[in-house]
Amino acid sequence: MSDSPRSAPPGATPEFADLLESSEWVAAPSNGDRGLPRAGQIAGAVLPALVAATVALALWELSVRARDIKEYLVPAPTAVGRALLDDPSRFIEAGSVSLTHALGGLLIGTGAAFLLAVVMAHSRVLERALFPLAILVKVTPVVAVAPLFLIWFGFNAWPKLLVAGLITFFPMLVNAVTGLRTIDPSAYDFMLALDASKWQVFWKLRLPASLPYVLAALRISVPLSLIGAVVAEWFAADSGVGQIIVIANGDLDTPVLFAAVTMLALIGVTLTGAVAYIERRVLFWHESSSGV
Amino acid sequence: MLALDGIDLTIGDGEFVALVGPSGCGKSTLLRILAGLIEPSAGSAHVHGEEPQPARRSHAIGLVTQDPGLLPWRTVEGNVALPLEVTGASADILALLGRVGIADFAAYHPRELSGGMRQRVALARALAHGPQLLLMDEPFGSLDEFSREEMGLELLRIWERDRISVLFVTHSIREAVLLADRVLVMSPQPGRIVADLAITLDRPRSQELDQTSQFAELVLATRGAMGGRP
Repeated sequence: MSDSPRSAPPGATPEFADLLESSEWVAAPSNGDRGLPRAGQIAGAVLPALVAATVALALWELSVRARDIKEYLVPAPTAVGRALLDDPSRFIEAGSVSLTHALGGLLIGTGAAFLLAVVMAHSRVLERALFPLAILVKVTPVVAVAPLFLIWFGFNAWPKLLVAGLITFFPMLVNAVTGLRTIDPSAYDFMLALDASKWQVFWKLRLPASLPYVLAALRISVPLSLIGAVVAEWFAADSGVGQIIVIANGDLDTPVLFAAVTMLALIGVTLTGAVAYIERRVLFWHESSSGV
Repeated sequence: MLALDGIDLTIGDGEFVALVGPSGCGKSTLLRILAGLIEPSAGSAHVHGEEPQPARRSHAIGLVTQDPGLLPWRTVEGNVALPLEVTGASADILALLGRVGIADFAAYHPRELSGGMRQRVALARALAHGPQLLLMDEPFGSLDEFSREEMGLELLRIWERDRISVLFVTHSIREAVLLADRVLVMSPQPGRIVADLAITLDRPRSQELDQTSQFAELVLATRGAMGGRP
């Protein structure tokens, strides 16, 4: 209990999130740095993954060449690299469009879900009334509604934002309702004994207490938002990485297809890392940030 | 079901009253009624001449529970500031932390502190807005024996300076006798006060008291009132 909040168990391999984090921490000085030096830490965390990736890519390259697999079936990593470097601005532009769609949708979907969660957390009646609707949204496959959104909103950013928003809505809703309700009963009693208003209880107790749940929801919703954006782009075929995939698929241009997938993977990893970083910064006080 | 029956309890100004009884006898229910957290189905309670609800609204009550209920995202200082933010009162937080012996820990977060230290924070927090009645529900119940005695005497030291009224719920007879001016004994089903014993031990109290025959007699008398229950 008297440990500083950020102490890692001795000898534990630091996670990527540890490396992203700056050295200053909120409360007591971190003693997580006492083990390996900084450079060693980075090498310790990155090196195994790097070696594994290199070996996998090399095996892939070798088996494609050795067995003379056709490029339209499985392109070698070098062919994918060539496709990427052939027209890098195309992938970067499409990637940034998809990223914008995903993040914009995330903002709309999780924002709406959180507001609804605040309402539902304060009223069991409203929760019972609205929850079935939320389930309906959840069980409807986005692939089914994407074409509908296209018809309604046309060839612009809205169908993408809304599909991405829709797919991120439910995880945030259920987590935020749980988080807003999961408050320490003793802290709640203390505030009630002081005649704290609902508003004060919300700002000073419910909202901070919900953050671990909200951020966990975000960790689920971020990759989902990318799926939603690409699905909608795929249907509209007018912008983003989804468009590249549709076109390359029609042309049987598999290296470009792989390049598009690589682009999406890069975006996904970056976003997930960003959420992990925010989680570590904001939730220094929560059990989840201690130890492994 | 009748939880409490015929409770007639008066706490004098600046009096330290302990309430003992076996688990489930309604001690906590009584305390929660006084704190204005629950409404009695019948009867009435008064805190400094007011009913619990108005007393609650005038911030006359400070509450310490067994689980300290600190906000883990706030520092010690931030936690003690909470009642000031809620009530709009003002207080010298650092001086308050000094009085409960945790001035050096103002910038720490609750998870960095031991159980005893957290209860000190909870005590400072309960006193911050200047309540007239301190309600304590087994505040040291989850501490080890040693911290428990230490915290009890520490509480007395703080109380002897301010002399605010205290209702101290505990299931430890020895703790009740060591700390209180009066010990009320409750029996369960329905919860009734079956004895009201004046504790005539001199103040300031000290740990050595429990070696005296006077202390032993008071403990025995209290135990007797509980019907021989431990």
